[in-house]
Amino acid sequence: MSLHELEAGAAVFSASFTVERSDLAAYAEASGDRNPIHLDEAAAKAAGLPDVIAHGMYTMGLVSRAVLEWAAEAAPEARLTEFSARFAKPVVVPADGGAQVEVEAKVRKAEGDSVELAITVTSGGERVLAPSRATLTAN
Amino acid sequence: MLNPSYVGRSLPTTEPVSITADSVTRFARALGLRDPAEPTDGSQAPPRPVPPTYLISLTLPAAERLIDDPDFGLDWSRVLHREQRFAYHRELRAGAVVSCEVTIESIKTVAGNDLLSLRTGVTDAEGLAAEVWTTLFVAAGEPS
Repeated sequence: MSLHELEAGAAVFSASFTVERSDLAAYAEASGDRNPIHLDEAAAKAAGLPDVIAHGMYTMGLVSRAVLEWAAEAAPEARLTEFSARFAKPVVVPADGGAQVEVEAKVRKAEGDSVELAITVTSGGERVLAPSRATLTAN
Repeated sequence: MLNPSYVGRSLPTTEPVSITADSVTRFARALGLRDPAEPTDGSQAPPRPVPPTYLISLTLPAAERLIDDPDFGLDWSRVLHREQRFAYHRELRAGAVVSCEVTIESIKTVAGNDLLSLRTGVTDAEGLAAEVWTTLFVAAGEPS
């Protein structure tokens, strides 16, 4: 399979991730973003949030993982050239059991050597990234 | 309220820093990204590609001087990340030496809240390698 065989509207992949507090702590260390609303329930509630929330960039990072894992199989000759997200709603991460993040991608545009994906990202039935888009271009 | 006279201004370009292999590996593993396969012919593995969202860990610190600037009026405790976009012009791998130039692209004010859009050019020895756009929502502060 290659990028040239993809058509607009086609569903290309879906992925599901469990996000736990320990994942956010690891991401805070690796990224340097140690804002306590991502780590500490009291700090999150003091900021008016229902509970600890995931870093938007952590959720976007999970989406990049889903895109790269799909592309490694489906379009190994392609390179990610654009990637965007709008953080519409927070991913709320309770201490017990964490949160589920669901990712679904469709082809939005297929032109020449590049394909743009429209990616739907939900958690708890709410769209958390709306929209997210990724463009892959064949080298 | 942010100081609108800053629109169009660029901060001084940051000193070049090396993207260490260790920081790339830690970032990739924190997201559960697969480790690259080891070469089977005994040759040394090439440096690992920088994960797609890694650059935020360079570009946001590059904008910190805006927080420290009392004339700009940015209170980080009232900031939410609203939008993020990356354009990758070339592949960056661990070991790349890069610097960041942050430009204040726009400030839009709606009902006392500000939307601050920053564009950061990430350059290496060969020139512009990536561009990173970040839009921050800055909630209205207490009337002073």
